[in-house]
Amino acid sequence: MEKSDLLQGTLDMLILKVVALGPIHGYGISLRIRQISKAVLQVQQGSLYPALHRLEKRGWLEAEWGQSENGREAKFYRLSSKGRKQLAAEESNWHRLSGAVTQILQTAE
Amino acid sequence: MLWWKSLFRKRPLEAQLDSELRFHIEELTRANIEAGMTPEQARRQAILEFGGKEQIKEDLRDVHRVPFIETTLKNLKFALRFMRKSPAFSLTVVLTLALGIGANSAVFSALDAIVLRPLPFPHGDELMKLDQYDPKVPGNVGFSAPARLQDWNRMNSTFQVITGYYTQDVSETSGALPEKLTMAAVAPQFLQVWGVAPALGRDFNPEEERFGGPDAILVSDRFWRSRFGANPNAVGQKLHMSAYSYTIVGVMPASFLFPERDVDLWSPVPMNAPYAQSRESTWFITIGRLKPGVTATQARANLATVQAQLGKQYPKTDADLTVNVEPLKETVVGGVRGSIWILFGSVSLLLLIACTNIAALLLARASQRQHEIAIRFSLGASRGAVVTQLLTEAFVLALIGGVCGLAVAGGASKVFRTLAGNLPRIEEIGLDWRIVLYSMACAAGATLLCGLLPAIRATRPDLSVPLAQASRTQVSTRSRLQWLLVGVQVALAVSLLAGAGLLLRSFQELGRVSPGFDPSHVLALHISGGWGETADMKALTQRIDRTLETLRSVPGVEAAATAGSLPGVPAQYQTEVKLEEGGAQPDRKMMVESRFVSPEYFATMKVPLLEGELCRETPASSNPKAWWSSLNVMVNRSFANTYLPGATPMGYHLRLPGNSFLPPPGEIRGVVGDAREEGLNHEPVPTVYWCFSAPDPDPFYLIRTRSDPMAMAVTLRRKIHEIEPGRSVFDIMPLEEHLGEAFADTRMRTVLLALFAVTAISLASLGLYGTLSYFVTVRNREIGLRLALGAMPGQIVKQFLLQGLRVSFLGCIVGLGLAAAFARLLAGTLYGVSASDAETWSVVVLVVFAVATAASLLPAARAARVEPMQVLREE
Repeated sequence: MEKSDLLQGTLDMLILKVVALGPIHGYGISLRIRQISKAVLQVQQGSLYPALHRLEKRGWLEAEWGQSENGREAKFYRLSSKGRKQLAAEESNWHRLSGAVTQILQTAE
Repeated sequence: MLWWKSLFRKRPLEAQLDSELRFHIEELTRANIEAGMTPEQARRQAILEFGGKEQIKEDLRDVHRVPFIETTLKNLKFALRFMRKSPAFSLTVVLTLALGIGANSAVFSALDAIVLRPLPFPHGDELMKLDQYDPKVPGNVGFSAPARLQDWNRMNSTFQVITGYYTQDVSETSGALPEKLTMAAVAPQFLQVWGVAPALGRDFNPEEERFGGPDAILVSDRFWRSRFGANPNAVGQKLHMSAYSYTIVGVMPASFLFPERDVDLWSPVPMNAPYAQSRESTWFITIGRLKPGVTATQARANLATVQAQLGKQYPKTDADLTVNVEPLKETVVGGVRGSIWILFGSVSLLLLIACTNIAALLLARASQRQHEIAIRFSLGASRGAVVTQLLTEAFVLALIGGVCGLAVAGGASKVFRTLAGNLPRIEEIGLDWRIVLYSMACAAGATLLCGLLPAIRATRPDLSVPLAQASRTQVSTRSRLQWLLVGVQVALAVSLLAGAGLLLRSFQELGRVSPGFDPSHVLALHISGGWGETADMKALTQRIDRTLETLRSVPGVEAAATAGSLPGVPAQYQTEVKLEEGGAQPDRKMMVESRFVSPEYFATMKVPLLEGELCRETPASSNPKAWWSSLNVMVNRSFANTYLPGATPMGYHLRLPGNSFLPPPGEIRGVVGDAREEGLNHEPVPTVYWCFSAPDPDPFYLIRTRSDPMAMAVTLRRKIHEIEPGRSVFDIMPLEEHLGEAFADTRMRTVLLALFAVTAISLASLGLYGTLSYFVTVRNREIGLRLALGAMPGQIVKQFLLQGLRVSFLGCIVGLGLAAAFARLLAGTLYGVSASDAETWSVVVLVVFAVATAASLLPAARAARVEPMQVLREE
């Protein structure tokens, strides 16, 4: 199956979106992105974790240590209200952008 | 997370990172096992899939790393670039601060060494000075009798030890020529009280402190170096003074400058000697060391009880006495504390002016940089970051200023020492880490003072928005703040000027007084003598009279006399006297200034004889119980007017009441003019002169010469050596120099304050000039437009001039208020001028306005010369 690299700057948005569904740990996020994108998008851990920590530092994510499904200690991330606003802004931005790109592609055909 | 938290939470963060990543790998491994791999395979696969764990951890650390040091370095780089870009501005700021901080640190070093620090002895705060005194005889504070000292030592419960000393000049005769040395005769346990041990050799042993024991001596470091070239073998050698020889038992450390700075030798006084038993002799300056934890008040109460007991035991000699207990430091520095605090206050005002000045400069500068700041904001810098950067710039300037200031302080300290050579503890002044720390604190304070306000102003959000308009600077509300800063400078400068003006006037008045004697062409000197000589007053008097005769025979000498103290040099010898005949008001207590002079004193000092005849010296008998049956005395006009109004004073007899063994009753022979004996700054008081050439074995010799007195010094010295080969001549100095030295403290205060005031007004005028120039530049366009529309240049000049003068006027009013408070502080030190002296104050106001006018006129004139066409073309 073909795998696509993530567009610069979209990783943050995807993470926010996934975390918006409920508290989740890093491993869960990478699984979830792969599952939802039907394995088209694969996030490297080398990009995932720095992005998580950066978002936490900006105050968009909040982190908390808790128990994983199989009773192990894991770091769970949750969306903050600031992060919710950010996600909304990025989503609408994305829609505008992708709409415009689609438009161009269709018109140019 | 706050940055300092992340600095301190290093370990938990590491653990967190590790644990988070390990969880991921373990979950991957578990998934692989579920997919059917062996555990080992599963683990290897997971690690492979996860990628470089350490690399990721490093990336994560990067995310969390505080960019503190990087930011600081960047800010510093910016600051240096900023300085390079505007060297003139930076130099002005650095120099201003260097002067401000330097002067401040120099005065602080004096304040610290003289006033703040305890005396340089172990537990210096435990040291007390004790005085026996008779409350009925004011001014008669001082020396204690050896017997009483012993009693205090035995009976008190608050002191560890009490000891005492007195100093005298001696001639040491082992060299080719006799050398004058100063010897302190000390009571037992002297060094224990100070808590200082000899640097070489040993302290006196009990045998040496007993009457008839071996004569031992300790020498000063200075004497040890000059006489023995710092040879350790000096210990054990002998010194010869009068008929005695003393064995050197030790050398004191160089830092031991007490009891008095110029003491060369210390030698024990045997307390059990027969001549030390009188309770009426007063010898010792008494020093005690408190027990730990005891306060001066407790010690005072304790000694009062002790002395009350002694009063019962010896009603005749002790009943009237009380004991004064004062911290030794207080008696050493108490006199100059006020002066130094005043100087420190003034120099701090100066620093404040400098900072205000720089704040105004930075403020003007910041508005020119509004554009740059706006760009930084638009690039996403936070307000805190921009403020930090602006403060860093100020700090770099302040730091350079502070370091230069230290150099200035080093130089200023030297000037200070020459200017105030007779201040107590002056040798302790030096640049040490405390001063460096103080200077750096000044620099940091200056940064905040001058940098914070402009930085906050410059980064106000509303100012950062209009990027597009930034180049078209409008005169905004901040101008009020800038003018306020100028006004503050003027106000502070006015108060300093007023203070300096009052001191100058006071000093001038002091120079203008007519002292009632003529100090010019008078040489003062000492010829060594020992207190032992007072055992035969007849011989002593003959010796001194013979010396005086010889001095008078030298060509070029007009007159010569001896005196117990110098006229005009502040010192009081107030005593009570009684008239044998009762007098006009028998109940009235007669307080007089009591002076011992030889009969020729009046001719030598040109104190005029008004009535009666000149006193004569009555020859001493050879009876040790009563050397004189009567003495002659002279009184001054104040005495006659105050205590014998309307009577002829001649023929009355004066007597010193109480237990004084000297002098016998004196017959008034004549009245002389009033002279300022107690100090040039004291009005003459009723004075009695006891005509007696040998008040002590080493009186002042006063010699009136026809020409320059110092030119006679060598001749006179040689002449004295001819008749007194065993005695040394020392402290040869014109009387006028003694008078100058006596007021060195006043002079120092005056000179320094005047210097500060001149600097202050210069800075303030610079501030005014700079601020006004800035506004002229900023409003160039407006001025050009107005000129183009027909405004007269005179109107423009007037407008700016008035603006400058208005601020100066308001500053002046506030400044006068400040000055009134300052003058009240000074009032105690003023002579011949009141703190509210109208003349001084109006001169200050005039000076300020003259300076303000000059400082405003230049920029105002420049404003009027703006070329309308050029301005309009630039639009």
